[in-house]
Amino acid sequence: MAEQLLEQVRDLAEGQIDFEGQKLAETIANVALSLVGAIAFIVGYILQDIKLALLITLGGTALTFVVVIPPWPFYNRNPVKWLPVGGGAAAAIPQNIVINEKSLG
Amino acid sequence: MYSSLVRLQNTFGFFTTVIFVVAALIASTDFITPRAPVVSTLKTNSVQVVRGRPHYYSSKKEEYAVIKFSLEADLSSLFTWNTKQVFVYVTAEWPHTPSAIAAGNVTENQAVIWDQIITAPSSDHLANLGPAAMKKLRKSAAGKSIDPSRGKLIIKNQKPKYQITHPSSKIAETDNVVLKLHYNVQPWVGLLTWNQETDFFKWKKLKNGLSKKFALPAIKTKKTEGQKGSSK
Repeated sequence: MAEQLLEQVRDLAEGQIDFEGQKLAETIANVALSLVGAIAFIVGYILQDIKLALLITLGGTALTFVVVIPPWPFYNRNPVKWLPVGGGAAAAIPQNIVINEKSLG
Repeated sequence: MYSSLVRLQNTFGFFTTVIFVVAALIASTDFITPRAPVVSTLKTNSVQVVRGRPHYYSSKKEEYAVIKFSLEADLSSLFTWNTKQVFVYVTAEWPHTPSAIAAGNVTENQAVIWDQIITAPSSDHLANLGPAAMKKLRKSAAGKSIDPSRGKLIIKNQKPKYQITHPSSKIAETDNVVLKLHYNVQPWVGLLTWNQETDFFKWKKLKNGLSKKFALPAIKTKKTEGQKGSSK
């Protein structure tokens, strides 16, 4: 029981996401931060207010952190499909193994 | 981007790049903002030379000059969104060697007689003021992100903050002294800039920043309103 709980806490802290999710997270982080920087500069220049520019940058960055860092469910929509444990059923192994575009089937 | 820690590191790493680029852009807006500082009045009101101890720590008596002056200047164009504070100071300058006098090189001797820090509203909290004066300063620009009117200086018959001396201990009866206004713009990000001697793209040089030439009088003769207040 305690071990299971510990396992859950560890998973939550590590926050693993799948491959598609990793790609998505990186795109979101780059696009969001670039946008935040551009908006902060433009708004600050138009309103001639450097404090506002700083606040927009820091606030937008905090928001990006919240979106990107935790393992949100939408980062885990394409889980890796592993082969069954033990490999007892030979039929489960794909017949055509492709390596370097050559079929080894 | 597999675990939370890696995502934190990557996102923070890109954040530092973004903030550097934004800072560089902010600094570059200084160059497209015109500057045209103008001095309308810079004159001496009274000039006095005294022999004594100019500072409490002076070990010997020496001659020192007390120059009262009036200054009216419009430095409001120096206040932009990137201005943190403007440091304004007035120097007395005079040539010493005959060749410098002939060449009109006044900067051979330079001594600050007065200075002032003008904070922009974005840096009012940094001003070295008591609570009452701080409240007044903040109130003067309430709701404003920049306040160019702070660049309009009107100072009449100002006592000098610093009496000036010379390493030779002799300063009386010096000719060809001028007062000069200097400024130093301190930005939040970007280049520290001083008053220029020439125009630089959109930045005009300080107009009319020199007073008329005057002479320091002999010791203890006091002349008021004397532009040419020589004792001779």
